[in-house]
Amino acid sequence: MRLRPSGLKSYLGKMRGSTHGSPPRVRLPEVLWSWAGAFLGITAVGWLNQRFFADADLTLTIGSIGASAVLVFGAVRSPLAQPRNLIGGHVLSALVGVTCWQWLGGDPWLTQSVAVATAIALMHLTRTLHPPGGATALIAVIGSDQVHAMGYLFVLIPATLGPLVLLAVALLVNNIPAARRYPEFWL
Amino acid sequence: MNLNPSLAFSDPLSAEDQIAETNLTDDDILEAMREIPGYLDITTSDFRALYHLAHRHAVDRLFSDITAGRLMRREVRPLTPDTPLAEAIPSFVRQDLKSLPVVDGQRRVLGILTETDVLRGLGAETFLALLARVIADAKCIKSEQHHRPVCELMTAPVVSVPLDAGMRELLAAFSRHAGRAMPVLTNDGRLAGLLPRKVFLNACHPDRRP
Repeated sequence: MRLRPSGLKSYLGKMRGSTHGSPPRVRLPEVLWSWAGAFLGITAVGWLNQRFFADADLTLTIGSIGASAVLVFGAVRSPLAQPRNLIGGHVLSALVGVTCWQWLGGDPWLTQSVAVATAIALMHLTRTLHPPGGATALIAVIGSDQVHAMGYLFVLIPATLGPLVLLAVALLVNNIPAARRYPEFWL
Repeated sequence: MNLNPSLAFSDPLSAEDQIAETNLTDDDILEAMREIPGYLDITTSDFRALYHLAHRHAVDRLFSDITAGRLMRREVRPLTPDTPLAEAIPSFVRQDLKSLPVVDGQRRVLGILTETDVLRGLGAETFLALLARVIADAKCIKSEQHHRPVCELMTAPVVSVPLDAGMRELLAAFSRHAGRAMPVLTNDGRLAGLLPRKVFLNACHPDRRP
């Protein structure tokens, strides 16, 4: 590992930040399209969940889908929001989360941290970094008994199906306004 | 030239990169970001770093045809250390050069004899200084210097470049010394040719490029 040799002063200096302020606020039409996309995306996931999965002891709506909606509808151009990352990030992280729960389940804090950290590392290595994936890995560990009982089915439902529904809505909605396009890349 | 990415941010900026940097303010970047609809999840420093590195790559690509080997004059007749000054001076004139490399029997470069070295040997710092003294007093040239060997007057060690030196390396080498020409060496350190600064500058001129 290579640390900068310049010492404590520059280490603390880094905490001041390097740029003046955050990126500019987007214009109002962008805000409205982000709202509309997220509304329709979460509607689709929530409706399907209620219609098909509520009685089957399965769930399609997990917290990390809300985080994905931020990226997919709020930062459409971001590499983090592209299909490869959206699907890959959730699937890999769910696999890591379930595996951690099944192998290390006895020690909750350790299982949680190993799951999230390993999910991030794997997403990096596979170029599928998607921040909500960390939430998916964590949910697989701290989730309800219902989630734990699903085992590796959790990887399929909700961790693959939920993002797929969001992807479908994103493709339909994000390509309506002239100023938006989605995706930037598929794989 | 390979750019080591871990050094890219700590290296002092070269003059050419500084020009690119100072032309671009944070406000310029933010204004450009406002012109692109949609949220860009990069900071101004992300953009600056990308711009800075991409600019370097673009410059390297544009000038990738500039190498010492391609620009140098091959037909140079070098001097040997024991050549007397009286023979070296006509050699400059014949070859229309103002500096000549000095090599040993294996064409390894020992030094370079420049016009300034010759003038110093004759007791003057510059040609005009010499001229001034010639006008004032015709006997000012130290004529006993003519038989001194080249190796006593030459500049050594010499700044030289390899055959595959690119634009950045050549710029750095030329800025390290005041000479008008630089010996170009083969991989095993032998003289391959001489690169005049004038030729290098012409090759760098953006308007004369294809």
